[in-house]
Amino acid sequence: MATFDAQIAESQKQIAEAQEKIAAITTRIETARQNLSQGDASIDIENATLEDVHKHTDLMNANIAELIMGLDDVTAGFTEDFNELRSKTTMESVVGFFSGSKSEAMRQERLRTASIDSKLQDLISKSDVIVKLLQGQLDLLNGQKTKVEANLVSTLDERETTVAELEAVRTRVAAMDPQIIELENKIAVEQDAAARTKLETDLATLNAEYNALVQDEQVKLAKSQTLERYIEKGKTWVDSLQNQAATQMVLINKLQTDTRQRVVLYDALTSSLKTAQQQDVAHRINEIGVKTDQEAQAAMAAIGTATNQRMADMLEAHEGHMVFARQVLEAKAKADERFARRFAKIVEKHDKNQYGE
Amino acid sequence: MSDTVKEALTDDHATLSDGLLARRYFAKFDAITGHLGRVAAELEAEGRLGRLEARVIGGYVQRLAATFRALSHKYLMTGRLEGALPGAPTFDRHESGFPIAQELMLMAVDAQHAAQHLAGMAAEAELKDRMVRQIVGDLTVPTQLQFALSQRLYYEALKAGGLFQARNDPDAQWVADVGDRRRFLVHWAVYDTQTNLPAVYLLEVEDTGRRPFPTDDRRWPQAQAHLMAQSLAGLKLVTIAMGFDRDFADLYPRRLRRITLGPMYSHSFTLQSGPIAEVLANAMAPTGEDWALVWTIEDLLSDREEEVKDGWFSTALRQVWRLDPVNGGETGATRLERMVILPERPYQALAELNPPGFANIRKFVVGAGGRLIPAR
Repeated sequence: MATFDAQIAESQKQIAEAQEKIAAITTRIETARQNLSQGDASIDIENATLEDVHKHTDLMNANIAELIMGLDDVTAGFTEDFNELRSKTTMESVVGFFSGSKSEAMRQERLRTASIDSKLQDLISKSDVIVKLLQGQLDLLNGQKTKVEANLVSTLDERETTVAELEAVRTRVAAMDPQIIELENKIAVEQDAAARTKLETDLATLNAEYNALVQDEQVKLAKSQTLERYIEKGKTWVDSLQNQAATQMVLINKLQTDTRQRVVLYDALTSSLKTAQQQDVAHRINEIGVKTDQEAQAAMAAIGTATNQRMADMLEAHEGHMVFARQVLEAKAKADERFARRFAKIVEKHDKNQYGE
Repeated sequence: MSDTVKEALTDDHATLSDGLLARRYFAKFDAITGHLGRVAAELEAEGRLGRLEARVIGGYVQRLAATFRALSHKYLMTGRLEGALPGAPTFDRHESGFPIAQELMLMAVDAQHAAQHLAGMAAEAELKDRMVRQIVGDLTVPTQLQFALSQRLYYEALKAGGLFQARNDPDAQWVADVGDRRRFLVHWAVYDTQTNLPAVYLLEVEDTGRRPFPTDDRRWPQAQAHLMAQSLAGLKLVTIAMGFDRDFADLYPRRLRRITLGPMYSHSFTLQSGPIAEVLANAMAPTGEDWALVWTIEDLLSDREEEVKDGWFSTALRQVWRLDPVNGGETGATRLERMVILPERPYQALAELNPPGFANIRKFVVGAGGRLIPAR
């Protein structure tokens, strides 16, 4: 299954690339966070980078989805097996031209040794490889998400503090306004030069303080806005990580359910093929005491008869045992309801001599 | 193939996604597999199983217990971690109660990588040390480390081997010489994928080949493959035995037994109909005592040998099997015996209810301290 291995390798490569890109973005977010605490307000996560990552993960997911669909090709091998079980091989057909029974015996022998166990195991292990791939990706996404989220929590805290400080500064600025107006009014009506000079000095100090506060307000505002932008970016990134993780979960789930159902289905089909083809023949042959091939041929024709009919045949063949059987039945009359019901039908048939109808 | 078929096939699979439930499920099986060995010993004491057979069955029961322990390690952290790992154990809740066969197949896949995983993992002592550090240092529960340790224990169990796999290939043991024939006991076991139940096969076979059959490279591998491919719960013993008889010229199967371990019924875990459901519901047994395990022995004996024409100029000896005169057609066996193993409470409920159909079933009651009391 070279194509499958190649596809796996391709997916692994893409996953590695995507993981690199995802990790790179988280690192950028973290560096930005460090710069922020050092007072550097620049954030260089552009929307373009995010989109690039998204494009890449989409590609990767599409590839993995294809891989999952690709398992269908692996399973196509099963169809071949099933067809082989159903039909005759060339050799068997040739032999069948001379002796139908010999050909049938050959087919039976082939059927007895047929097994799809190794193929099932192959299917399971391939699906397991894909699950491991997806799992690795999911783990990385969850890890990154936790990191960025922890980062965001502390940033939110910081922003809250900054906003509170900003508010405090604004209140102080607002409180200074009436003081300044009052001083200016006083200066306007003051006649005494000495008192006036003192008032003007006061006003100058107050103004200086005011200007400092206003500048402070500007700085705090800028910081708050930067933090806000940072949080916005971080949130987008967490959202994106979450979406990607959800996609991975869906893929894993789909794959696991699919494989589980497939294994059960193929297994059921094989076992029913084997059971149906062999069982009736075996019983008939045992009964006719290994006589001749002709009878086996006749028995083959009887495949598919109902269980009741088969049991009737069995009992008929065991005629000698019938008396004993009835005794046993009387003793067990109460014991097994289901059995009793079954047997009643056969006794009825027997009594009315309706065998073979 | 429509999806409904697939769904119908898997709709009795139940997933134990709750951590505590999964723990309880595995604890239950740990107890049950302990009792199974005692049942085999009891049957040996009664003389219904030979020493060798009891030992073989005991061996498979032990392997089954080891498999359950390994799976229990694998799913130790179920429901306690986010994400798709460690997953959740899936079991068949209708007429089985055992984990689905795929769990065992997946285990076989994991076993291939066990050595590789173990090489890259921290040792148990180191993991525990790190757990203590995290608990004391960070004041958090070290779930990730716990998961790592559970996986380490799982892979160690896989590496140690001695597990009951989905297929356990045949092994043969010389028993005696009968005339000019050698008599062997061939035994193998499969985890049936349709019924999701473990089944042990015992085949007594006589050999007239030049070399002893288990050391004959021409016949033994073929016989092994043949027997494994025929070990389906859907096939009756007579079908399996006749196919083997036909396909191998100098081997004469004389007796074939199939011991099916299960199903396990439990009021809180499995879905069942009929009297057993009522019995378990009435018992209202406490945790750990709410179960009943059925164990079926199918036995097919050869009646006589007949010479038949095989081809134009040759003849071969074929077995004629002795089938149960009454329902041999349905069972395809000489004898079919059912036994049920159950704790005291459910047994009491069973005795009170005394449902029809249970009279002929052999009962083993598990008492306090693991005592096993055979009851009629």
